[in-house]
Parts: sequence; C-alpha cells; structure tokens
Amino acid sequence: MGYLYFLLHPSELRSIIQWKVYHEPPHRRDESKEGPELKECFRLLKLTSRSFAAVIQELNPELLVPITLFYLVLRGLDTIEDDMTLPLEKKVPILRNFHNTIDEDGWQFHESKEKDAELLEKFDVVISELKKIKKPHYDIIKDMTLKMGNGMADYVENDEQIKNGLQTIEEYELYCHYVAGLVGEGLTRLFLASELAHPKLAERPALTESMGQFLQKTNIIRDIHEDWEDGRRWYPKEIWSKHIDKWEDMFDPKQRDKALNVISEMVLDALKHAEDCLFYMAGMKDQSVFNFVAIPQGMAIATLATVFRNPDVLERNVKITKGSACQIMLESTQNLFVECEVFRRFAREIHNKNDPNDPNFLAIATQCAKIEQFIETLYPRQNPDKLNASNKLKQAGQQTADPGETVVMIVVALLAMLFMTLLMIGTAWFFGAQFGNMFEDWNFFNPSGWLQPSAGAGAHEEL
Amino acid sequence: MSEKPRGDLGRVVVVGGNGFLGHHIVNQLLSPSWTTSFVASVDLRCGRNRNPGAEYRECDITDSERLQSILEELKPDVLIHTASPIAANHTLAKELFKKVNIDGTASVVEACQKSGVKALVYTSSASVLSDGVNPLWNADERWPVIRGDQQSEYYTETKAAAEEIVLNANRQEPYSLLTASIRPAGIFGEGDAQTLPGFYKAYETRKHKVQIGDNTNLFDFTYVGNVAHAHLLAAHRLVATAKAVTAPLDHEKVDGEAFIITNDAPVYFWDFARAVYYASGDRSGTKGTWHMGKEIGYFFGVLSEIFASILGRTPTFTQLKVTMTTMTRFYNISKAKRVLKYEPLWTLQEGVDRGIQALIAEKQAAEK
Repeated sequence: MGYLYFLLHPSELRSIIQWKVYHEPPHRRDESKEGPELKECFRLLKLTSRSFAAVIQELNPELLVPITLFYLVLRGLDTIEDDMTLPLEKKVPILRNFHNTIDEDGWQFHESKEKDAELLEKFDVVISELKKIKKPHYDIIKDMTLKMGNGMADYVENDEQIKNGLQTIEEYELYCHYVAGLVGEGLTRLFLASELAHPKLAERPALTESMGQFLQKTNIIRDIHEDWEDGRRWYPKEIWSKHIDKWEDMFDPKQRDKALNVISEMVLDALKHAEDCLFYMAGMKDQSVFNFVAIPQGMAIATLATVFRNPDVLERNVKITKGSACQIMLESTQNLFVECEVFRRFAREIHNKNDPNDPNFLAIATQCAKIEQFIETLYPRQNPDKLNASNKLKQAGQQTADPGETVVMIVVALLAMLFMTLLMIGTAWFFGAQFGNMFEDWNFFNPSGWLQPSAGAGAHEEL
Repeated sequence: MSEKPRGDLGRVVVVGGNGFLGHHIVNQLLSPSWTTSFVASVDLRCGRNRNPGAEYRECDITDSERLQSILEELKPDVLIHTASPIAANHTLAKELFKKVNIDGTASVVEACQKSGVKALVYTSSASVLSDGVNPLWNADERWPVIRGDQQSEYYTETKAAAEEIVLNANRQEPYSLLTASIRPAGIFGEGDAQTLPGFYKAYETRKHKVQIGDNTNLFDFTYVGNVAHAHLLAAHRLVATAKAVTAPLDHEKVDGEAFIITNDAPVYFWDFARAVYYASGDRSGTKGTWHMGKEIGYFFGVLSEIFASILGRTPTFTQLKVTMTTMTRFYNISKAKRVLKYEPLWTLQEGVDRGIQALIAEKQAAEK
C-alpha cells in the first residue's frame, strides 16, 4: 500500500500507528533463558505462521512454549497432509502414527515439497523441546495429535469426498471439526490445565467447537476463489445447490446474484456460531490468553462483513485492510466489552449490506439481531431493579429526573421554528409571493402511506 | 407440527375464538397436535373464521349473566380469553377499551370461578412493559408494568388492568381456578387486520421506499401461530398443576404468572417491513429508499399534526408513528422457554409468507 492510499485513508494510518505505539504486550519472551533448540522452534514458528506468531509470543510464560510446540506439531501434520507428491500409502501411516513420531528422538522428514518443508526437515528440535514441558501439557498435545492425525488420514483416504467435494452441512462441519475444532479443543484443554480459563468451559465443549467452526468457516468462505483455482471446493453442496445448478456457475458473471446468495447463506451459517464465541471468550481469565483467542475472532467477523455481498470474492482474494486489521487487534486486546462492540459493529455492517431480494434476507437480519441481543444479555443496559424503583416513585406521583422537561423543550423549540416559518412565509406573501396550490399535495407529509390512523396506535399492537 | 399429541386439554372454550388470534387457537386445539374432548368459541359475532369441529355461541362478555349460563352449559376445563377490541382510534374507543378489556375480563373471571373452570389463560400484551416513549432493551418479566399516568396508551392501560384482575384471581379462595397471562409482542399472520395489511398497503400504494431513522432499532414481531401455541402450552401446564397434589416449585410455576411471547427473533424494524414488501411482490430491494432522520421525522410529524388540525383533517403522519417505527423494543423470552418449554414453531419468514399469501388470497376473493 502506497503513501497515496494512506493519504486518502488517514484513519487507517492512524490505526496502524496506534497499534504500533500503544499496544503493550501482556508478556514478552525472555530470550536470555531460551536454549538454542527452543530459539530454533520460535524461528520455525515465525517461518510457518504469519498471523499467529506474534500473539503466541505474547502468551503467558506458562503456556508460551506448550502452545508454540502444539502449533508446530499441527503445522507438521498439515504439511504432510497437503503434500500432493506423497503417495497415499506413505502419507496415511505417517499421519496415523504421528502421535508416536513426536516421541522419536532425532526424527526428521526430508521428502516434502511443500513450502513449510523446512519445519519437517528440522522437526527433531520440536521433539526434544516437547520432552521438557509439563506432563499434563505434553499429554494433551499427544492426544490431540492422535485425533487430528487420524481425522486427516480418514479425509485423505475418502476418495469419493475428495472427488465430489463436501455434500452435506454435516460433512462440512465434520471437516471443520478436524481442521479447527480439534485445535480449539487442544487449546481449551491447555488453558484449563494452566487454570487460565474458567473451569465451566470443560462442561461446555460446544462453545470450544464453535470457536474453531467460526474461524474455519470464515476462511473457507473467503478463500473460495483461491480454492477454485487450486481445484478444491469446501462449500457444501447442500447450501450452494439451493441457488445454482453446478459449482462452475459460482464464477459465471451472468449468475452473480445467485452466487452472492450462496455466499450469504454461507455467512449466515457461520454467524450462528458468533454468540457461542462471545460466550467462550467470557471464560478467559488471563489477558494474554484473551488476546490470543479474541484477535482471530475479531478478524473473522470483520472478514465475514467484508466478503458479505461482495462480488470481488468471486474474482480475487479479498482481505481486510491493514488499517482495519490494526484497529481490530487494538480492540481485541482490551476486554470482552470492547470485543462485543467489534462484533456488534460488524453484525450491523452485515445487516446494512443485506439485500431484501436475497432468500435469506430475514434470516440474516434475525441472526445479526440475535448477536446484538446476546451482547445485551452479557452487558444489559437496563436494570429491572432500578426501573422498578423509579417506576414506584413515578406511580406514587413523585418526580424523578423530569421527563416532562424535555418534552417542554421540544415543544418550545418547535413552536419557535413554526413561528419563524410563518413569519418568513408571511413576509414573503407581504412582498407579493404567490403560493398557489402548493399545499394541495399532502402526500409529501405522508410519505409512508401505511402510517394511516386505521393502522392503529402502532402497527404492532396486539389484537 | 408433530403427529403425536402434546397433551390432553379436556373441554376448552375460547373467548374471542372467531377473532384473529382466537381462531388460530381453535384450529390448533382441533389439530392432531392436541387432544381435546370439546372445543367451543364464545364471541360477539361468530360468523367469520369458523372451524367445523368447534361449537359457537354468540355472547357479549360484559353480559355476565349470559356468559355464566353459557359456561354452565358448556362446562369447560380450560378457558382461553383472547377477546379484545382492535387497538385503533384510541381517542374514540376509550370507553370501549375499558368496557371490553376491564369489565369484560372481570366478568369472564367471575364466570370461570362460579362455573368451576380449572384453568384460565388470558391474552395480555408485551406492551404493558412499555410506556410508549422509552426504549425496552431485552426486557423480561422482571421489568415493571407501566400503569396510570406513566402509560401513554390507554389501550395498554386497560390490558394491564385486565391482566392484574386475571392474575389476582389465581387460587383466589374459595375457588380453585388457576390463571396465567400470555404477553405477545407484535403479533401478525393470517387474519391480521393491522401489521401485515399496514405494510402491504404501503407497498400497494408505492409508499414503501421511505425509512425513518437509521434502522438499528430492534423490534419483536411474533407469528400468530406461535402465540396460539404458547397459550395452549400454558393451558396444558395449568391443567397439570390443577391435577397435581403438591403445589409447583417456584421456578416451574405457571399459575399466577405472566409470560412474554415472541418469535425469539428480534429484528431491525425496517428489515421486517422489507421482508413483507418482498413477500407482497416488491423486487426493488433497498435501492431508491429515502432515508429520513428521526428528528426530521418528528419535525414533519409536528407540522403534519398542526396543519391537519388547522384544516380539520385527521393527520396521516404523526409523531407517534415516528416513535413506533424508530423505537427499540425487544424482549427476552427465557422464562417462557424455561417454564413453558416454549419454542417458536414457525420462523419469521414462514409467518410472513403465510400471512401475505392469506392476505393476497383474501383480496383476490373480495375482488371477484
């Protein structure tokens, strides 16, 4: 992005500067206490993750190393799964056995052609660091590696699904579970083991699952064009087949409206997790852990708002701007209240872009409103006890804060305006202005015809 | 709806069973969803909205003697009182509101008590929590009922007074009558004379391209079928309570309680309007909509009222209308979900489609 862009969008530049200047990491890595192998792990982290490296390195020291290693193990698995040059009979056993591999001293893998191949080539440092972390943390990572490795192996062996793509929403969510839901599960267990999250989260696994589903679904929706170019499709047929006949139609400019309706329904489906995500974040007891989970969530809802009813998504990769990303990072590193405002802002952005001709128009409006309603339950702005107390005073005939005063003010102001209007009209008339029949057309003052007296004291009155 | 009946309600009388909400209740009672041994409607006029499975008795509910003799003849276990005048022309109808809502309800309660009815469910309104001016944010049953001078709508005042009469009659010695009140918010659907026809008319006369306010205000609209369903759930729980030997625990108590009922889906006011326009045939989307600020709206409202009074006409655009369309007023129905096990059976979209289809069919039939 050039200077000209920031000259035209000064608020973006402001957000970037604010983030750089005001963001105070809750924790910083202490490199003096790190051995060469751990330093190498952090280098590999920075190499393989652009978005997560920064937040992971600001984590509470209790979780800094376990989560770094957890990330690297998953990234290793992912690299093997994605490698199309590896034959299945070789790939599947590696995936299924990876939870044992992470115990093998000195294990390295040199046959990958993927961009993150270096991680596998130097995987022995990850293995040796894994042996140094606390037993509960290690056990969680091992267990999650077993589940994810098998999930990935099941997937790569499922020829039919790979050839025909995901069919049902159930299959779609199962896929998201393996690639993101399990990561969430592992992280929640690590937070709980370190007592950095509320123990109740252990009883509500659906909340953890929603965190992963929300992020993964958002990525899938956003990456539609990139995946199409790579010959992949993650949109489930159950959703797109309601609007178009065949997947290629998504990229047919003549069918743009229908394609946008597909994206709308995908966004609607992702938004159903938003309330759970906010609820989950309410369970974070540590600032660094809160930041770690809230930043990707804030980015996700902003991304949904950006891709919603945006035809560019079908032609190129659409991303939120850097300024906007910095603003979200700044807001997502405060507290739940500020994060809720992020969710509310983007829910309203989606609501504003919503198109009445979209078959899911009302369902999307309702879902955006549901998010607002949920925030209201977290941070109610009306207190029934206070309302009851002031109502009692009013009923007893006493005045609390005088509501009549504002009414009087409005009436006085309106009368003054009316007087001025009449004075001006009168003066104009006095000097010979011709008004003719301009007041005949009363419809101007009744632009919305349904507001007839017969429509009642309010269209919503009962019975 | 499910084929397996939800429960047995015995003999049921619906007061106002030929009205908008009432006939939906009669239809649901006679559907496979519920088991009943007898269903009757008592209404001022029984000509419209009839179901061949029900019996009909014409009666003015303020005529206590006649009402009581009908109940003694029909011997209902459950009585559902939905009768209420249409909330229009409030200045002219003040007397009527008082007579039907307050005196009529007192008469219904008395007749229920004297004829041994077990369960009475009353249709109140979620508006009883609103003063008509200030917003309601996620209001639930803990919010105060606004009465007297604080209540700017006389219609609502009479509904609140009637609800008080009904709830005070719960377990009132020496009678065993159990009572509950349902407070629906923004009811619409087939047979609706206000909400859907109002929006439909705006579209028909091409006055639908106006939006007052910024459309961030959340509002509850509730499909009539869901409201009817909630009444039957409450009635069923009251019947169960009447049979039980011990009194219910506080957190599962239905008798003497009021329940707010919505579609559990608050929505931006003008989005609901646009969904109705779409169902009515509008395909213009949001293009060309004239956005009128709330303040400008009030200004026009005042001007319109002043000029109308000078010309001796009824103002067509008023401050009240601006208030109603820009007001935040949405509710939290956790209590009904928890205690009545209420869940809406129809979504807003399904309700809009059903209601508008019925409205269009009605208009076509009238033209023939």
